[in-house]
Amino acid sequence: MLLGLQVENLHQFFVQSSDNWAQRFVQNHAPFLEHLPAPLGELAIMLACCVIFVAVVPLLPLGLVLAERKVSAHIQDRVGPMRVGPHGTLQTLADGVKLIFKEDHIPREGDKFLFVVSPYIIFACSFAVFAAIPFDRSILVSNLNIGIFYIMAISSVIVMGVIMAGWASNSKWSLLGAMRSAAQIVSYEIPLGLGILTVVMLVQSLNMQEIVNGQDGIANWLIFRTPFTFIAFFVFFISSIAEVNRTPFDLPEAESELVAGFHTEYSGMRFALFFIAEYANMFAVSAIAATLFLGGWHGIVPSGMLPEAGLLGFVLRAITLGGLLGVAIKTLCLVFVMMWLRWTLPRLRVDQLMNLCWKYFIPISFFNILGVGIWGLIFPQDSRLSIIISIAAIILGLILVFGVLGRSLSKSTTPPSSPDRQISATT
Amino acid sequence: MRHYLSNIYFGVYTALVGMRITFKQFLQPSVTHQYPYDRSFEQKKNVREIPKGYRGKLHNRIEDCIGCKKCEMICPVDCITIVTQKLPRGERLWDSMNVVHLKDRTEIVGNIEGDEKPAPNTTVTINTRDDRTITVSSDEIASIVERKPVIFYLDQFDIDMSLCMYCGLCTEVCPTECLIMFDNLSDGIEYSTFDRTDLIYEFAEPEMYDQPADESTEAEAAD
Repeated sequence: MLLGLQVENLHQFFVQSSDNWAQRFVQNHAPFLEHLPAPLGELAIMLACCVIFVAVVPLLPLGLVLAERKVSAHIQDRVGPMRVGPHGTLQTLADGVKLIFKEDHIPREGDKFLFVVSPYIIFACSFAVFAAIPFDRSILVSNLNIGIFYIMAISSVIVMGVIMAGWASNSKWSLLGAMRSAAQIVSYEIPLGLGILTVVMLVQSLNMQEIVNGQDGIANWLIFRTPFTFIAFFVFFISSIAEVNRTPFDLPEAESELVAGFHTEYSGMRFALFFIAEYANMFAVSAIAATLFLGGWHGIVPSGMLPEAGLLGFVLRAITLGGLLGVAIKTLCLVFVMMWLRWTLPRLRVDQLMNLCWKYFIPISFFNILGVGIWGLIFPQDSRLSIIISIAAIILGLILVFGVLGRSLSKSTTPPSSPDRQISATT
Repeated sequence: MRHYLSNIYFGVYTALVGMRITFKQFLQPSVTHQYPYDRSFEQKKNVREIPKGYRGKLHNRIEDCIGCKKCEMICPVDCITIVTQKLPRGERLWDSMNVVHLKDRTEIVGNIEGDEKPAPNTTVTINTRDDRTITVSSDEIASIVERKPVIFYLDQFDIDMSLCMYCGLCTEVCPTECLIMFDNLSDGIEYSTFDRTDLIYEFAEPEMYDQPADESTEAEAAD
C-alpha cells in the first residue's frame, strides 16, 4: 500500500538507532500505541514531539529577547524594561502582541510571493535545526546518522531566505543587506565547517548522539581532547556568531548604515518571525557549540559516578552540567557570551570582516585539521596520557601566549597598524 | 609572519580587555531611578534641589479675591477667565485679609488687629484664617497689604495653566495679593495631567457665599 510504504520510508528516514526516545516513550507511557503498526505509533509520538518543539522553541526568543535587553541594560548601567510585569518579564509578550496587531505591509513594487515566503523559510529553517540537537540521552527529535551535516545544510538555507527577503523588498537597504549577508554567511560557513570537521575527525561520526557519547566527564570534552580542538572551539564559536549575524558581524542589518538591512520593509508579524528566527538561531548555534565541544548532555563528572534515575540523579546531573538542564545551562552561558560580545565590540567593516574570515579563521582551521590529523596518528585511541598531554599543552600554550609572547609583542611596538586600513569599505 | 601572529594576539587581547570592562559594568549596580515609583533618591544629598527662582503654579485664595479683574486684563496670553456679579451699591460681603510681608521674605495672611499701620517698636497681633494668633514685632514687618472690600460674587475664576506663560504679571497687579505663584513642593513640581482640561484650574467656590448668587443679577445688569 502506497501510504504504508511512505510511512515505512519516513520511519526509516527519521529513526536510525533503536535507542530512540520515541520508541521508549511508546513502550513506557503509551502502550496503547503499540497496537498500531509500529511505525505509525512512533510517527504519532514523533509528530507530538514536533508539536512540543514548535510550541516550546518560540518561547526561547521570548526569554532571550528579554535577556538581551536586560544584559545590554546592565552593561550600560541601566535597568532595562521594568514596567510590564515584575521587572519587565512580560515585555516581550507585550511587544509580540503589539507586532501581531500591526499592519502587514507589502511593498507595491516588490515581488509579493518571495516577500511573503521568505520569513517562513528563515523561520522554518531555524526551527528545523533543533530537530537534530540532542538535549539528553533520549531527548532528540530525530537521531540522524548525518546529524551535524544536516544542521550545516539546513542552516545554510537561511541565507536563501535572507536573499529572497532582500530582493523581494525592492529596497536598496534590503538588497545591500541581503548581499552582505550572502557574502558573510557563505564565507563564514567555511571556518564553521572546518571547525566541525576537526570534531568529526576525532569522533569519526556525523551522528550528534555519538559525538556526545564520547565526551563523558570534563576531561573527555572535545574542547580539551586535543589542543587543536581548543582553538577550533573559539574559531567555531566566533564563526557561528557571524553566521547568525550578531553584532561584531551584524553587517546585514547594520542599523546605522542600512536602516535594518534585509528586513527593512517588513512589518508586523513577518518582522516578528525574523526576530524570533534570529534568537532561535542564536540559541541553536550555542547549543551546537555546547554539543560538539562542551560535552553536550554529559557533565563535568563521568556519568558512571552519578545515580542514574530519579529526581536526585536529575538534580545532580544538572549541577554537574549534565542532562537536559546541563545542556540548557551551557547553551545559555554561550548565549550570554554572545550578548556580552555584542555590547562590547563595535561592528566590523566589510573588508575587516572578510579579512578575519579568509586570512585568519580559514588558515587557522586548516592548521587545526592538520594538527588533529597528526594527533590522531600519534594517539590512535584516546588514552589518559593523551588527555593529560592535551590539557597540559593547552595550559602551557595559554601561559606562553598571554604571559611571555604577549609581553614581548606588546613591548615591541604599539598594536600593528593594518596595511589594509587604507582600503575603503565597499559592499 | 610575526606581523600576522601579533595581529592575532592583539585581536584576542583587546577583545578580552573590552570584555573585562563590560563585565565590570555588568556587575555594577545601575544608576537608573525608577522615578515616579521610587522617590528615595530625593532624599539623597547629591540630587540637585529645585532652584530658588522657581515660581511654581498659580494659586488663588478665593476668599480674599475681590473680583477686580486686573489679572484678567494684564494677562498677556488671556489664560484667566473671570465672571462676576456685582452686589447692590453700598453692600459688601466681607473684607479681604491683610497680607503681612516680613523682612525674612516670609508672609503671613491674617487680619491685623485695628487694621492700622503699626508704629515702630510695637508688637502686632495677627489673626489668621484658621483662628491662630501670631504676634510679630513691627520691626520685622517689611510691608502690609491693606484690606479691600469684596463687592463681587465670583461665579467663575478659571486659570488655564496650559496657556499660562508663568510671567507672574497677574500676581504683581493683584491688589489683595490673593493670586500668588505657589512653589509648595509638597504639592509636587510635576502637575502634568492626562487630560488637557484638567489643567484648567477652577478657583471659584460659589457655595461660600451665604445667599444664592443669582439674587443680584439685576445689580450686574445695572453695572
